[in-house]
Amino acid sequence: MEQQIKKAQENAKSEITASEELSTLNDVRVKYLGKKGELTAILRGMGALTPEERPVIGELVNKVRDELEELIAQKEREFKQKQLNARLANEKIDITMPSKKTVLGSIHPINKIIDEVKEIFLGMGYQIADGPEVETSYYNFDQLNTPQDHPARDLQDTFYITEDVILRTQTSPVQARVMENQKPPIKIICPGAVYRSDAVDATHSPVFHQIEGLVVDRDISMADLKGTLEMFVKNCLGKDTKIRFRPHHFPFTEPSAEADVSCFVCGGKGCRVCKNEGWIELLGCGMVHPNVLTNCGIDPKEYSGFAFGFGVERIAMAKYGIEDMRLLYENDVRFLKQF
Amino acid sequence: MKASVEWLKDYADIDVNAKELGDILTMTGSKVETIDVTGEDIKNVVVGKILEIQKHPDADKLVVTKVDVKDEILQIVTGANNIKVGDIVPIAKDGAELPGGVKIKTGKLRGVDSCGMMCSVGELGLNLADYPEQIEHGIMILSAEMEKNLGKDIVEVLDLKEQVIDFEITPNRPDCLSIEGLGRETAVSLNVSFKNPHKDIEKEAVEDKKELDGLRVDIEAPDLCYRYIARMVKNVKIGPSPKWMKKRLAACGVRSINNIVDITNYVMLEMGQPMHAFDINSISGKHIIVRRAKNGEKITTLDEQERQLDETMLVISDQEKPVAIAGVMGGLNSEIEDNTQTVVFESAVFNGGNVRKTAKKVGLRTEASSRYEKGLSPENAIRAVNRAVQLVVEIGAGEEVKGKVDVYPTKQQTPKVKLDVNRINKLIGLDVSEQEMIAILEKLEMTIKEENGEKYVIPPYFRTDIEHVADLAEEVLRFYGYDKLPTTLIKADTTLGVKTKKQKIEDDLKQLLIAKGLSQICTYGFLSESDLQKAGIEITQETIRIKNPLSEDYTIMRTSTIPSMMQTLSFNNAKKNKDVGLFDISRIYINKNEEIQKGNVPQEETILTIGIYGEDADFYIIKGIVENVLELSGVSRYDIRREEQKLSFHPGRTANVNIGTDVIATFGEAHPMIIENYGILQKVVIAQINIDKIVKYAKSTKKYTEIPKFPASTRDIAVIVAEDIEVAQIERIIQKTAKKILESLELFDVYRDEKIGKNKKSVAYALTFRVKERTLNDEEVNVVMDQIIQNLEKELSAELRK
Repeated sequence: MEQQIKKAQENAKSEITASEELSTLNDVRVKYLGKKGELTAILRGMGALTPEERPVIGELVNKVRDELEELIAQKEREFKQKQLNARLANEKIDITMPSKKTVLGSIHPINKIIDEVKEIFLGMGYQIADGPEVETSYYNFDQLNTPQDHPARDLQDTFYITEDVILRTQTSPVQARVMENQKPPIKIICPGAVYRSDAVDATHSPVFHQIEGLVVDRDISMADLKGTLEMFVKNCLGKDTKIRFRPHHFPFTEPSAEADVSCFVCGGKGCRVCKNEGWIELLGCGMVHPNVLTNCGIDPKEYSGFAFGFGVERIAMAKYGIEDMRLLYENDVRFLKQF
Repeated sequence: MKASVEWLKDYADIDVNAKELGDILTMTGSKVETIDVTGEDIKNVVVGKILEIQKHPDADKLVVTKVDVKDEILQIVTGANNIKVGDIVPIAKDGAELPGGVKIKTGKLRGVDSCGMMCSVGELGLNLADYPEQIEHGIMILSAEMEKNLGKDIVEVLDLKEQVIDFEITPNRPDCLSIEGLGRETAVSLNVSFKNPHKDIEKEAVEDKKELDGLRVDIEAPDLCYRYIARMVKNVKIGPSPKWMKKRLAACGVRSINNIVDITNYVMLEMGQPMHAFDINSISGKHIIVRRAKNGEKITTLDEQERQLDETMLVISDQEKPVAIAGVMGGLNSEIEDNTQTVVFESAVFNGGNVRKTAKKVGLRTEASSRYEKGLSPENAIRAVNRAVQLVVEIGAGEEVKGKVDVYPTKQQTPKVKLDVNRINKLIGLDVSEQEMIAILEKLEMTIKEENGEKYVIPPYFRTDIEHVADLAEEVLRFYGYDKLPTTLIKADTTLGVKTKKQKIEDDLKQLLIAKGLSQICTYGFLSESDLQKAGIEITQETIRIKNPLSEDYTIMRTSTIPSMMQTLSFNNAKKNKDVGLFDISRIYINKNEEIQKGNVPQEETILTIGIYGEDADFYIIKGIVENVLELSGVSRYDIRREEQKLSFHPGRTANVNIGTDVIATFGEAHPMIIENYGILQKVVIAQINIDKIVKYAKSTKKYTEIPKFPASTRDIAVIVAEDIEVAQIERIIQKTAKKILESLELFDVYRDEKIGKNKKSVAYALTFRVKERTLNDEEVNVVMDQIIQNLEKELSAELRK
């Protein structure tokens, strides 16, 4: 009987090794290990053995069966691996084919700049204020120390709806509105559209955007203004940007300044954008005029403040290298999608 | 304000070049616009005398000349035909440079040596208008007396070197609209002493008279005229001004007219005080009356235009007629003529605001009015008129009439401002000592006065802009140096930088819309009447019109964003851009309840506008985007209702989003006629979503609902209904019937077929049933399904499709 087992073992082993696919392997299993398989038959015939032989043979059969099962399992894994490899090889695709992505839209470059500026000032604890575009001349001029017939009114060609109602020429009236309604500390920026009677050309538009900033609190100084703006320009225009103040005049600030920044296109070396000067005129600013504070019900002896304002288009054009302002308002998608 | 460096040197020693001077003055507040340097680009051009002119052997149109340039005799070939032997001409010698980078070299012209070139006015870069005796296409012929300058540099001889700086003067500094004022700024900026060459006229005592050779002056409107001084010169010889005066006037951009008029302009440029000169004979009754004009009164101004006057305007008149619009322009009727013998000089100060208004009304902004409107110092007026008389005598244009008529009803106030060193330092953020501050202020001719132990600053008469301690802070900072300002950060309580609900929603929506493939656009808030009409928007009482529009294109504040969107889509379509999707977050302006007429601001609403054309553009796409917008903003419980009235939209393919009766959005296909108006030959879908209303209804609070533990039962149902039944009707019946156990329903098929029948459609839904606490059994669901079918049959005549 032992002989018989050994023979079955050897036959089975060689058949397992020889089998080349899962089905033949299965046949081998059935042939030797199945219900009617050879080893099973041997086990069944064990009744004829002596009690001494029985455990010896039994052990042998079990051992052989375990061995065969292991061999089959191993062979099976091999087959599966092969099959998987074949499938993977078969499933190889051209990964350079176009994707199924959705085409993304874009944020308008003017808004992109506004959003960037908002983020910076939000981070510095500013609120974002908003005001009407169709504004009273009271807020646009009178409250800002620019009374009727003040020559500064000529600096900006105003669109009138009536004598008293105009299209705001600046975002500064929001300052006055906020100061009237809020007690210091005040820290706001106000982005928005403003209107001036300039014909459309490569550098002018009757509608453009400004961002206004205002801080009113105790002991606010012009040096704070410069520090704040320096922090802003370094964040918005690049960490190496320098800022320079020049004296200027605005009716609603005193002292007033115009601020230049080192050209953020060429880094100050001189290029077309900065007209080879290395500096770009960026914004107007100053300490809130005592008359303006008084007009808005804030005591200039107790509080001081600074304000600044700048054009968004100017920055967008310099930053993105847009040479013609009209592109910003034509809204050609081939232009828009670049942002 | 243009100023030549040469003129500024009368007031300050300038040892830097024009560019450096410009930079220094810019940093102290007189911003340089442009610097114009002439004469610098002319090199090696000298005065020469033509000795001989011979025909060119090989060219009919050329001549060969011999020219004496003192050190040598040059042979020059030229094509000019306005020269003759003996003429004195400018000669560009070998190696000479001319404006525009032209270089002259010895060469041959048709085989004959030519060692230089004779120059025309244009070739020297000069303006022909400044040399009226010269011709355009010909050599510049110098006067015979120039022979004494033979061989000398033409730039020196003709005095061509000039540096003119154009300054941007801010409206608070009318004193800097003068060479004197700029000279003073220059002196302080360069830290040199201010030379006042006209100190003598300040000391001059001119006798006050009631009548000056019979001339009287009355101010009838002292609220508009603060001072009026008249002085006279007699035996006047009208003629050209001296060359130096013409040159200075030209440098400042003023045309020379005659000696008397030039003097008034010269004094205005020099001292900033506009002046006027009348012929005494044209002043009827020798009586000058400063009064308000009468309504309907007319005057023909010096520019020969007839101007309508009204009672808000101030005029200078005689006993019969106005002779000048005060502060704006003189009248033709009192003009200085060639035979004028006695001249009245007017030096007056008028109310700035009134001059500005008048100049605007008559449409005439002059050098005079632009100075007056900024508010001039009456104390300066007397200096100016004395200077004018002095100049007349100096250039021999006439004789002084002693005395003046000086009507000065309102004396200039001299403010005093406390020198609060601490506040100034706090305001600028510096630590400047009192001593340093006083040094700066005194250089600016301010006086420091002590009263009760406090120091006060008294500005000089010409500084009408100094009123507050903040003004002193600026003066200190200007000359301490804006560049020395440190950078510090605000030392104050922390404030919170947070977006408002509206800002958050807008920012979220922008992200959603770009993810949907839409690009943001930026459009103007105003447009034309026809833009509105083209888009089917009616003009109403609430439409806001601009009184002084830039052009016909921008006359109306938009009451709808659709025209802007359609226009932009149309522009892109014309550019052949395919499949375009855009959005705009912008405003509309509505004059509700005539707020503007009451002097208030109108209503402004923020509108999100979406516009799409191209392959995907259909109603359901735009509907989906609108629903996404509502979902992301947190607006729920809205109805979508059919909209058939709005003219911009297709009546059968448009819907409103309602919350109760409040319409918060409208979307759908643009009306085919509107699309045609814009020349877009494909479907366009549009949505208008009112952001302000979205913000009002949006709920930002989120709350967790437990994820169901028990399984759902699903059933499909397909019913055949008439074509005009809307699916919402079917859905309402299903929801009403199934009540709470219906978790969701999803339309998955709409099918039309002849077998189903004409004008009929089959609509199929997948229904999901579930209750929270337990598993539903089939029987329960079946009962509900049967009821649904029954109700659909009953209410919509639907039939179950098997």
